[in-house]
Amino acid sequence: MDDQEQYAKLFNEFDSQMLITLGVILVSTVILIIASQRGLNWLANRLHGQLRFRVFALVPLTRLLILITALAIAVPIVIEPSLRNMVTLLGAIGLAIGFALKDYVSSLIAGVVSAVELPYRPGDWVDIEGTYGEVKHVGMRTVEILTPDDDLVAVPHLKLWDSAIYNANNGGTSLQCVASFYLHPEHEAGWVREVLRDVALTSAYLKFDKPIIVVAEEKPWGTHYRIRAYPVDPRQQFLFITDLTVRGKQVLSGAGITPALLPPDTAFETRGAAS
Amino acid sequence: MTQRLSKSALSPWQVVALESFQTPEQTQASQWWRSWRAATTWIIGKEASERQAKEESELRKLPEVALSHWVPAIDWSPAANALSQAVDEYADAPIVLFISPPYGGHDAVVRRWAEQHGVNCLPTPTFTELAEGGLEWVERYGQQRQWAIPALERHFLRHTLGVQGVREWLERALSGRLGQGVIGCDSWSYAYLQHAVGLEGVPVVTLQALEGEQLAHYFAHLAQGEGCPTVYSSRTGKPILTSDNGDNIKRERPCKELQRLAAHCRGHLGIAWYYWRERLRKPVESCDTERSDEQDQDALWLLDALAEAELPADTGDIATLLLHALLIHGGLEDQALSYVLPFSQHEALGARLALARQEILSCHQGRWQVAPLSYASVRQLLESRNYLVDPL
Repeated sequence: MDDQEQYAKLFNEFDSQMLITLGVILVSTVILIIASQRGLNWLANRLHGQLRFRVFALVPLTRLLILITALAIAVPIVIEPSLRNMVTLLGAIGLAIGFALKDYVSSLIAGVVSAVELPYRPGDWVDIEGTYGEVKHVGMRTVEILTPDDDLVAVPHLKLWDSAIYNANNGGTSLQCVASFYLHPEHEAGWVREVLRDVALTSAYLKFDKPIIVVAEEKPWGTHYRIRAYPVDPRQQFLFITDLTVRGKQVLSGAGITPALLPPDTAFETRGAAS
Repeated sequence: MTQRLSKSALSPWQVVALESFQTPEQTQASQWWRSWRAATTWIIGKEASERQAKEESELRKLPEVALSHWVPAIDWSPAANALSQAVDEYADAPIVLFISPPYGGHDAVVRRWAEQHGVNCLPTPTFTELAEGGLEWVERYGQQRQWAIPALERHFLRHTLGVQGVREWLERALSGRLGQGVIGCDSWSYAYLQHAVGLEGVPVVTLQALEGEQLAHYFAHLAQGEGCPTVYSSRTGKPILTSDNGDNIKRERPCKELQRLAAHCRGHLGIAWYYWRERLRKPVESCDTERSDEQDQDALWLLDALAEAELPADTGDIATLLLHALLIHGGLEDQALSYVLPFSQHEALGARLALARQEILSCHQGRWQVAPLSYASVRQLLESRNYLVDPL
């Protein structure tokens, strides 16, 4: 009998008015979240440059603020917000999480952390445990990444706790691209370096306020050249690399420079190093 | 601010060092206004967002004869005189660059300067010479005591082979081996060549940007023979330029409408001139209306100067890259497009045709370039997308 009274004190008395209020809060929250997410995404997709990333960063943050506000309004309606009640409620929730919903809630909490720490935001190009692509949506539990092969991958936020997150542009417009060239060792290296720099300088996609670096590395099978440069927009990265590669090959082959032919086992190693 | 106040002289021909160039007052506000108008047009429609005191249907375009009378072509001779004085200040420099934005007249100014000083203008290399990367045209220039190049943008292509000639030639010119020269160059080409070739330490001069008052003074004295009639703004219905008895032109103070135009054109006379010429209208003659005021019949109207061909915000990458390539080269022929763009010839042509249909591009002597009335919006779009833009 005492237990029943204590539970009755924990929760306020449920009546029709309370249920209607909670329903209104729930519906308003859902509508506000949907409207803000779609609205901000729509706006960001029409913007370019740094502004685009700033608006994208607002998407998860807005949702978090709406949720906190809704909870702050709804909780005092359902329970009497005394210290004893809160401790009881949090204890019960903690128990449920500990046994059944550990990973799920861990992802939700990581989602909150991601909205504050911003390790990724929509528009960023990230690599999480081998999944590389553009962040399309930062949800409550997962982050959706669109890979260059057009696969949408949902990665749970809990990867934040123990995995390295590689963010190629970190909320900015600068994303370094690398175009590799594997050349036969007998060539004039100085000339190749100059010509590869010109290849980058004459690319239509080049971002000029970032440096162009040509790296040459001698290998047992020949010389590995890399052009490191930045495209105007991170979304142009594959077009940019393709443009550099196509025009670089054209100029090099026009000058009679032959590519290095690697033995198969070395080819695998090189691929690993380049990636 | 001190510099602004010192720009009291109303002459538009002030040649200054590039570092001293200042865009007119309200240039930034003009860009925000353009963005705001694009947003309101999208929300409430074009007609509602551009309420006019005088509707366009009540006005008609001026015939060519009247236009050539009221708005004759710009005479760049005074600019050439001003350039001459500026060049004298750099007597020890092997080359002096005179840059201007598209339609800014660097070509005409340097030609006029060369004529005035009896200096030889070096011929432009052909497209084939540039595309093949040959250096014959560089050798052909030989050694001269003084020389001029009116349009440096015709001397390179953004292509691995297309920049070799200009690089070689500029290297020789900068070393002083080729005598002294004055080079006219498009401001966008200059921005590109700074990165691709390197132009550190080269003296660069340009025409100072005009404020609204200077524009008013220029347009008021532009008409041949007599003064300019009263010109009203179709947007506000208020006079922009007024004439007293057709003889004395007085400027409205402050010339808000022309300051707005100056800010929109970033103070570039060449572009403002196109706006003036393209947007000047006469009221439609109506038999029903008796006009008591004779002056009113002679009055001209300036259509909302900023209602030009606007680029949609969702302009795709192909169109953007094409516009950028055209600006960097000061205009290009169709055959050159595939050399400087990462698309096939038919893709580039398709994009060029689409932009030409929207009147974003215009053709001048076989070269396609950004139309003067679209220049401001194209520049703003490219800047917002982090493309390399000119310093003017």
